[in-house]
Amino acid sequence: MTVLARDRYAVAIVGAGIVGLFTAYRLARAGAGPVLVVDRGFLSGGASGRNGGGVRQQWETRATVRLARESVADYRAFGREFGYNIWFRQGGYLFLADTPSELEKLRGVTEIVRAEGLPARLLDADGVDSLVEGLARGAVVGGAYLGSDGTLYPFPAVWGVYEAARSLGVEVALGVEATGVTQRDGRVTGLVTSRGSVAADRVVNAAGGWSGDFARRAGLPVPNVATRHEILATEPMKPFLDPMVVRASDGLYLSQTMRGELVGGLSLPHPPGTGGGMSTSPQFLPRMARTVTALFPALGALNVLRAWSGFYDDTPDGLPVLGEDPRLAGFVHANGFGGHGFMLAPATSRRVAAAVLGTASDLDPALFGPGRFLDPRRAAPVERLQLG
Amino acid sequence: MVEPAGPSFTFEGRRYPIPPGGTVLEALAADGLPSFQRSPRYHRPRAPLCGLGHCTGCLVRVGGRPNVRACRYSPADGDVVSTRNAWPSRRFDLLAAFDLLFPSGIDTLRGFRRPAWARGLYQAVVRRLAGFDGPPSPDAASGPVDPPTVRRADVVVVGAGRAGRAVAERLVAGGRAPLLLDRGRSAPAIPGAELLPDTTVTFLPPPGPADPPFSLLGFTEPARGLWIRAREVVVAVGSYDAALLFGSNDRPGVLTADAAFALDRPGAAPAFRAGVVFGAGPRARAVVERMGDRIEALIAPGAVPPELVRACSDAGIDLHPRSLLLAAHGRRRVRAVDICARARGPVARLPCDAVVLAHRRLPHVPILFQAGARMQWRPEPGAYFPVADSSGRTTVPGLWVAGSVAGPSTDPAADGDRVARHLLAGGPAPGAPPASLPSSPAEAPPAPPFPGEMDGYYRELLRLPRRGRWVACPCEDVLLEELEAVPQRGYRGVEVAKRYSGLGTGLCQGRYCLPDALLVLSILEGRPPADVGYITQRPPVVPTPLSALAALDPIAATDGGP
Repeated sequence: MTVLARDRYAVAIVGAGIVGLFTAYRLARAGAGPVLVVDRGFLSGGASGRNGGGVRQQWETRATVRLARESVADYRAFGREFGYNIWFRQGGYLFLADTPSELEKLRGVTEIVRAEGLPARLLDADGVDSLVEGLARGAVVGGAYLGSDGTLYPFPAVWGVYEAARSLGVEVALGVEATGVTQRDGRVTGLVTSRGSVAADRVVNAAGGWSGDFARRAGLPVPNVATRHEILATEPMKPFLDPMVVRASDGLYLSQTMRGELVGGLSLPHPPGTGGGMSTSPQFLPRMARTVTALFPALGALNVLRAWSGFYDDTPDGLPVLGEDPRLAGFVHANGFGGHGFMLAPATSRRVAAAVLGTASDLDPALFGPGRFLDPRRAAPVERLQLG
Repeated sequence: MVEPAGPSFTFEGRRYPIPPGGTVLEALAADGLPSFQRSPRYHRPRAPLCGLGHCTGCLVRVGGRPNVRACRYSPADGDVVSTRNAWPSRRFDLLAAFDLLFPSGIDTLRGFRRPAWARGLYQAVVRRLAGFDGPPSPDAASGPVDPPTVRRADVVVVGAGRAGRAVAERLVAGGRAPLLLDRGRSAPAIPGAELLPDTTVTFLPPPGPADPPFSLLGFTEPARGLWIRAREVVVAVGSYDAALLFGSNDRPGVLTADAAFALDRPGAAPAFRAGVVFGAGPRARAVVERMGDRIEALIAPGAVPPELVRACSDAGIDLHPRSLLLAAHGRRRVRAVDICARARGPVARLPCDAVVLAHRRLPHVPILFQAGARMQWRPEPGAYFPVADSSGRTTVPGLWVAGSVAGPSTDPAADGDRVARHLLAGGPAPGAPPASLPSSPAEAPPAPPFPGEMDGYYRELLRLPRRGRWVACPCEDVLLEELEAVPQRGYRGVEVAKRYSGLGTGLCQGRYCLPDALLVLSILEGRPPADVGYITQRPPVVPTPLSALAALDPIAATDGGP
């Protein structure tokens, strides 16, 4: 039985995924006082242990490009800082366009990324062929590519930040579910958990796919929607595919890990919410297999080893929710990453920690703050480059 | 060697006659135990461990198709069979230097971080060490893919061994028309039942309230997709012989009793001539009875029952009861083993050319976990079994178990017949929980006492000094030390251990690493194996080719399945 060590914390963080752990680590380094992280499951049991490990800087939103660029620098230095080798391999991210109009959309993205000083390139079909072998003839008309994007091995990143946070005194309570908050006079006063209540001056909602559920239980509904995404891994092979390959039209993404497995998924229209659980649908394996073999005809003889699923925490405008909730002082959001929490956590956790500590950061509240959803006009997509 | 005149395949430039109906492995095993694979990280020589198509000891490339199991593949005339995981050649593999350069293991988690400028080089090398072979070549997928098998069935019987056949025969006698699936190719037909050989399936999604409740996705070798809807399913997939942890436990010549029986074929040279057997149960006795003239010694973790003592005495086999198997010697082949009597006996060396593992027979339960059946840990033989009543009903309505997958069985055929009679007498309607089974964890039978025999065995063994590599997961070359590091660094539970060490993520889907890893973690975490847990069994439970799955997409897309 997990029993919490204290009855009062400076900060209680809900969710021991990469976002919650990075936030806890940064708060502990800043001397924020006792920090508690609770998680209903086991370490890496949520999306932090279920994602494809992609890290990209190609976005439609310039602020996101900057956050991603900072995260790339953090992940490059991860081994020195955290003692674990995350095998961050900058093999590039290649967005495929299968129609001229898709290619035009990618041209816009490339221009935004280049305006931020990153050498993204728009490619024609031959340019795509020179980056990946075995692509079906005529499958694509072109693509967008940035060589400093890449993939990492997610698990050691979780271990590294977890151990670093714990060595700074952060308490991580696994198997403990957060069920609500206590408040007085418009301020958070504590966290209610399956193991009782504790006092806390700040509560951070970093619950990933369950962020919307927890926000509702805290009486602060948000428009976040959990969507189930499925993914598979094949048997390992010698190096074959260097970049992460992504296609916007069907949400396909595919990369080869440092363990040799091809790992990838695509979007299927599953009912929203966490209620359906994390099982694999009968439609996914056939659809994914057909999509992969249509793109790489030679891979038909490759075996699938396993398939699994996890939740994206999607927002109406495609941007994460970062910062203090205007409805309740001390309640801080670090969620809504839409499947990109892993790649953005190192940089966003600095801003979230600043919001917790009440210090200044460069985060634009109009773009990322939770208050934006109180304005009904802000429901339109801002960041449409959602998958991969 | 005389060049064969009939149908033949080539392996490394040499032609081999194709035995009628036989596999690549049977052809290569004509001269004894073949060792032609190398392990992924350390490039250690490997030979077949399991003989059942699960381990990675017999992977070959056939034409352009990688990772084909030689023990399952029937070659066609003119096939070119090769292995790739060696450089410059299989006999002289310079990459085996990794085995010597990293005596305490390649630490991919915490190693290779410095100097920063070498990161690209480290990545290139470690990336190349993964896997056994390159991608399929374009010609491998160019052949026509057979149209998928799509069925709606009344009753599906998975497994055509003794139990499954008895189930099917009884069902036919009772007027039902079961669909019988078997992973092997040679199960004889049963009149009145449709038999699909060479076929593996997975439950997808887990059975629910839909009618019919069961959806089975799978494939028939080499790449025919399969999708079956069924009202009831009887799982009779049987059991297999477990691996064992000791020094150099991955050496060619260390093989399970399953593999020893599979390789023991008339006309072929024996796989070994002077083996030792580990175990003292019915399985060890079967090995002694069939291959006693090629067995020198029997090593048992506990006492040896009197009838096995007599059988060994008749065959001139030395007995080493209550002993620990410490390590194997030899590089390309086992040449000796070190053993010691339990409670700190002196170390003795036994010359031998094989170690036959016959100590623990485990149920093929991944498919049952995946079906959502409630499972229960049994300390003997140290494995999860389905919670089921005497009629074979599991906790999933309409899902039945028969034979040794349900529990240690002395007469699988009688078990199968009994289960089929209950099924005929009227299983519960789909959706209704079986009356005689607990329906909530609170009513579950009390957890059985722990520990079992292998728990005490490993408690003693893990405290002793070690020699050689202790390979906890042969598919991915994960060492026992890497598994032990998980609880030592403060992590608990087998789900995290899997993600931390990579154990259980290889081609055998955990069959040859998880059972022992559960015992080791249970000891190190100080809690029963049932609390250490089990890793979620992800579909497909048997590696399935993309082409077979792709052919099912039109069915999935149009009406959501058969």
